[in-house]
Amino acid sequence: CGPVYRNHGYIPEDADLSALVVGVDTIDSVETTVGRPSASGVLREDAWYYVRERRRQFGPGASRPVSRELVAISFAENGTIENIERFGLEDGRVVTLSRRVTETSIRDFGLIQQIIRNFGRINIGEALAEDN
Amino acid sequence: CGGGNDVALEDTDPETIYQRAERELASGDADDAAGLFSEIERLYPYSEWAKRALIMQAFAYHQDRDYENARAAAQRFIDFYPVDEDAAYAQYLLALSYYDQIDQVGRDQGLTFQALQALRTVIERYPESEYARSSILKFDLAFDHLAAKEMEIGRYYLKRGHYPAAINRFRAVVEEFQTTTHTPEALMRLVEAYLALGLEDEAQTAGAILGYNFQASPFYDDAFRQLTGQGLSPEARGSGWLRSIYDRTIRGRWL
Amino acid sequence: AVTAAAIHAQSFRFSSFDVQGNQRIETATILSTLGVTPGEVVSAGALNDGIQRLQASGLFESVEVVPQGNQLLVLVEEYPTISRISIEGNRRVDDEVLNQIIRSQVRRVYDPRQAEQDAANLAQAYAQEGRLAATVVPKIIRRSDNRVDLIFEVAEGQVSEVERISFVGNRAFSDRRLRRVLETKQAGIFRTFIGSDTFVADRVAFDSQLLRDFYLSRGYIDFELLSATPELSPSRDAYFLTFRVQEGQQFRFNNVTVTSDLPEIDIDAYQRQIRIDDGDVYSPQAVERQIQRLELLATRDGLSFIRATPRVTRNDADLSLDIEFVIERGERVFVERIDIEGNATTLDRVIRRQFETVEGDPFNPREIRAAAERIRALGYFTQAEVTAREGTDEGRVIVDVDVEEQPTGSLGFGVSYSSDNQASVAFSFAETNFLGRGQTLNFAVDTGSQASASNITFVEPAFLDRDLAFSVSAFYNETSRDGRNFDSKDIGFRTGLGFPVGEYSRLNVFYSLTETELERNEDPFDVNDDGIVDPGEGIDPVSAILLRDAGDPTLTSSVGYSFVYNTIGTGLDPTRGIRLTFGQEFAGLGGDEKFVKTTLGVDAQRTVRNDEVVLRASLDVGALVSLDDTVSVRGNRFINNTGLIRGFASGGIGPRDPFAPDDPLGGNYFASARFEAQFPLGFIPEEYGISGALWLDAGSVWGLDDVDGGADGDDGIGLVDDDFFLNSAVGFSILWDTQIGPLRFDFSEAIDKRDFDETQSFDLTIQTRF
Repeated sequence: CGPVYRNHGYIPEDADLSALVVGVDTIDSVETTVGRPSASGVLREDAWYYVRERRRQFGPGASRPVSRELVAISFAENGTIENIERFGLEDGRVVTLSRRVTETSIRDFGLIQQIIRNFGRINIGEALAEDN
Repeated sequence: CGGGNDVALEDTDPETIYQRAERELASGDADDAAGLFSEIERLYPYSEWAKRALIMQAFAYHQDRDYENARAAAQRFIDFYPVDEDAAYAQYLLALSYYDQIDQVGRDQGLTFQALQALRTVIERYPESEYARSSILKFDLAFDHLAAKEMEIGRYYLKRGHYPAAINRFRAVVEEFQTTTHTPEALMRLVEAYLALGLEDEAQTAGAILGYNFQASPFYDDAFRQLTGQGLSPEARGSGWLRSIYDRTIRGRWL
Repeated sequence: AVTAAAIHAQSFRFSSFDVQGNQRIETATILSTLGVTPGEVVSAGALNDGIQRLQASGLFESVEVVPQGNQLLVLVEEYPTISRISIEGNRRVDDEVLNQIIRSQVRRVYDPRQAEQDAANLAQAYAQEGRLAATVVPKIIRRSDNRVDLIFEVAEGQVSEVERISFVGNRAFSDRRLRRVLETKQAGIFRTFIGSDTFVADRVAFDSQLLRDFYLSRGYIDFELLSATPELSPSRDAYFLTFRVQEGQQFRFNNVTVTSDLPEIDIDAYQRQIRIDDGDVYSPQAVERQIQRLELLATRDGLSFIRATPRVTRNDADLSLDIEFVIERGERVFVERIDIEGNATTLDRVIRRQFETVEGDPFNPREIRAAAERIRALGYFTQAEVTAREGTDEGRVIVDVDVEEQPTGSLGFGVSYSSDNQASVAFSFAETNFLGRGQTLNFAVDTGSQASASNITFVEPAFLDRDLAFSVSAFYNETSRDGRNFDSKDIGFRTGLGFPVGEYSRLNVFYSLTETELERNEDPFDVNDDGIVDPGEGIDPVSAILLRDAGDPTLTSSVGYSFVYNTIGTGLDPTRGIRLTFGQEFAGLGGDEKFVKTTLGVDAQRTVRNDEVVLRASLDVGALVSLDDTVSVRGNRFINNTGLIRGFASGGIGPRDPFAPDDPLGGNYFASARFEAQFPLGFIPEEYGISGALWLDAGSVWGLDDVDGGADGDDGIGLVDDDFFLNSAVGFSILWDTQIGPLRFDFSEAIDKRDFDETQSFDLTIQTRF
């Protein structure tokens, strides 16, 4: 029994990437050659990011990223490609997530009420099962 | 005196049935009241009482939390008397029947869409009616519930390290749900996700938008600390991994 | 009938309106739908549109508009309102089912066209039930105040049964065999209760498809169904179904190759995945399975959008087919969003974590289907539909998950009375989806005079949000059974972690702490009045071996692991599977006991004769080895139960002290082998869900550290025979799939047994998944 590997996301093949020319290709031509991005910048038109990640999970351990390739295509004001950069796993920062959450107005059910809402199943199985 | 005895009702005039129904309603027995009102509509469909009984029937079913029948009755009123001044109330009742179910069903998304559509009809078709104002309020709350759903899924992916998926969900909140109370947190989560991917300038942009629009929000404080690399405030960091396991496993919280 | 007055192309200005004939619909409503307001110019066209709208509202039988100078006369005739709807003459199908089909509604207007449509739908519903002769006629009774009662008069007519099914042109398979393939069955005495022998048109179409698949999956690729003709018997109550077929020849695989022009594909690795040998009978399922294996290998190598498409070339000369699997790149489609609806109590993450695909990942239909299977396997939903639909643009897909929840909690109160346990009060609470978090929480208390047991279990399947099951449980049991000379008291706590270690294998590690206490329930007393109480006087004889265990409680503190490798049902090849379990428990972390208990179980299962007969073989062995060569305690030794060997009561085999043959001593070793064949009972229709099984079980419990039995243990007489003795039994079982679960009735006959072994010739169990 060994580790289980899984792949997520997608980055364009090198052949397609090399076909893109900085300053010439626009957002639309990028979309036709390499397809839409996994995620884009805060402002949709200024940068597109293609992310591909390979994760490893062994036994009870959490699944950890083993490798991450990120292709960043940033666009100038006139919509043509400004720059194509590559980032790796090492560029990422370990971020401890804030536990603060926005309180919502939706009243959730009380503990007892939730339990009662879920009743109704008769399991004869145990009743009949012979105890030895 | 239950409503069931059909024969007696056949030949009582609508007004007496109406008054008995109102007494039932007043005494808190909404279900029987609704039954009596529906009898008036069935026995005297062309009388003036039928119209008033129909709207009262919708109200009584709603009171009895029988949302299916409340919707059917309200819809019938809108079909037969679209121009009546009570039509606004019928449309509002229809919207309420979906909206109240959202409160009950904290998790299901399907009902929220229907509530939003019905509330929008009230707001657009009867803007000056007194129901428009409370419909707008309820519309925002239902809209907020949709945003909460997106945030819940965004946090699910953020915690598991699937940053692109999380970024798309939080961007959906920032773009399509600006007016809700979740926007500050969504922007802060974007800061966290971009930092985790190593896209410093995107994180700065998100932080700047958060700072510009929601200077006072505690989420801006968290984002600022993340960007400048200081540790989170104790309230945001939580106290230790054991407490986190307890919160997640026993209290079902996300982190 | 609607007559629109001949309005020539000019415009009008009306100052007043006269609306007549409307009773329920208000004049203001009619004028606003017509779209006219006093004093305003309206063109003929606009007026005409208004009339159309009035008609379309479905509220009016007739609409007539007559302009008279500056006044507009509007004559309407309203449809009556339906006061009551009833159905008469239906015996076989009750009102409740039929009411759902009727679109006309009480309190709404009566529309004759709708009533006709409802009648037609009702007749169609009867046709579905096989009653083709049924007729439905709508009738109205005029009531006061322009109201009507709508009555549907139903004449049901006879059920038309399928008298005989015959085949023409079949050489390779007999009529009897082909009849078993179809879903429509020939009428027979057993079939009077079930509906599958009634003739229903679209069921014949379904049967034709079943026949085609049956032949295709046996290599008859040229199979053709020439005709499936039902003939009605003169009395219209029976049908004769004849299928005329043209089988063609049976084809076999010839050479099966893998080709690809993608540089990153290593052809040999993919060729090795092929499990078809030349000469195998051709079947589409076999080809589909190879596609699955090839595409699975591609995803495992991290390649996305890889498709394996088969190219088939026929060589009629030697009736063989060459299959060339071409590995190529399919079009790029991504999962844009996964939207989950219908989960009223279940948390979104409990469902979402069943998906390995993350939003933004390439769309892999196989993975989505596997996730749907996992969601259904949770057991929280009556229905879980996972469908993919077009996203914001054609390269993106949105996965919709619509679930319908079912209650997952059960609360049990019970006062039960059983022969050996007298009266006992039982309370149990079990929830498999506690607070919608997917956690399991069971709690049960069962108090009785003979035995009382209480336990609590909590399982979190996704501890720390990983595929890591954390479980903790505690129990407290007490027994003091008549006919047994010992009362036992044991209390225990156990916690464990379980996680996947491979695609089909899982490892569970656990820690367990238990304290067991054995006590004689009778004290010797002076029977023969000789003033002294001998050790065994006046009470049933008890073996010294067990006496040694009695007395102060023993504490066992142990850690252990159990490894499970299971491909039954989940593996690529659905017809066969194997389940291997290997576990060890090390006692000695403190506590009084120091031993290693090892168990190994192998279950192999195979379905033959095209999925009708299931062959099962299973082997279980176990050994208890003491580490500090102290004597093993009865509580830790192996005791047989019906799970190990059928035909014997629990504790029924294994060494016993001839001096006190009532109490089983258990053994340090056990081994058992079980062979079973499960088959459908030909004479009972399958719809009853009854099948039979023949089985042979053999096994033994043996080996004791201390064999010095008899009254008092050190006198070296009365030694117990603890050697290996092979007990065996044969039996026949009836398996019945009922709503409450798969029941199993075992009838057995012991072949080899010792005189003191306790047999059990009948047993009823809820059969757990094998």
